[in-house]
Amino acid sequence: MALPIDTGIEFFRQVLALRAYRQEILSADIANASTPGFKAVDLDFAGALNAATRQPNSTAPSPVRRLWLVDDQRQMTVEGGSDAPEAAANFVKYQTGSEVTLDGNSVDLDQEKTAAAGNAVQYEAAATFATQTIRMLMTAINGSGSQQSSGG
Amino acid sequence: MSLFGTLAIAGSGMSAESERLSAIASNLANANTAAGPGGQPYRAREVVFQAIPVDGADSNDAEAGLNGVKVAAVVESDAPTQSVYDPGSSFADDKGYVQMPNVSSVDEMVNMISAQQDYQANLEAFNVAKTLALRTLTI
Repeated sequence: MALPIDTGIEFFRQVLALRAYRQEILSADIANASTPGFKAVDLDFAGALNAATRQPNSTAPSPVRRLWLVDDQRQMTVEGGSDAPEAAANFVKYQTGSEVTLDGNSVDLDQEKTAAAGNAVQYEAAATFATQTIRMLMTAINGSGSQQSSGG
Repeated sequence: MSLFGTLAIAGSGMSAESERLSAIASNLANANTAAGPGGQPYRAREVVFQAIPVDGADSNDAEAGLNGVKVAAVVESDAPTQSVYDPGSSFADDKGYVQMPNVSSVDEMVNMISAQQDYQANLEAFNVAKTLALRTLTI
């Protein structure tokens, strides 16, 4: 059972990991804009986030990692050697609809750049929301009259 | 993989594109080289790109298409060389023709613009990843 204090931050951790993962995928497309036979891919972000944040069965152990527990075996370990949730790779799909050049490459550079810029803004937004969540917790801990809250 | 993976991928793109730019520069510089090494006219060099997993990528990443890029080979163009009538040249054959390189300046210029745009796109991706990583430090 995850503590309420954890849920908000854990969600943003997933969002940031997936946004970073999508940024990497878009960079890979851009890097391979001239590679013969390369097909552009993209992340189904909504699907991946749904899978990452789906509530497990109540009988199953909670998959939420509580990093502040010093005696937790899983502390600071990353499962599967990846920052993105393990299932995220399953949500990487080939892009459709863009023109395929004579050498079999389907990367549309303008589209990739636009998507990367949009994804970066979404990442910054998620980071901002995470900051605000943390600041809110700090307010709850310190009280509204403290330096911490007025400083924010 | 993480934002540092993004940096690695964009970096591999930049180094591959600059190698492509080197080949283009070599072709343009030798566009009028009648005889290269070995007495044969210069032939245009073309780089061949290949998608490869960057350092630190696991098998999941490669399957998902998370690949950097590298120059797999530099091949010589097999386009026919141009015959130019120049009987006074020391490279002329018995009929007075000199074999000139098969470099097409127009092709090279177009390639150069393409390489430049690709390089810029990689640089942009690199900078965005750097900005995001720094932003993450301030959460």
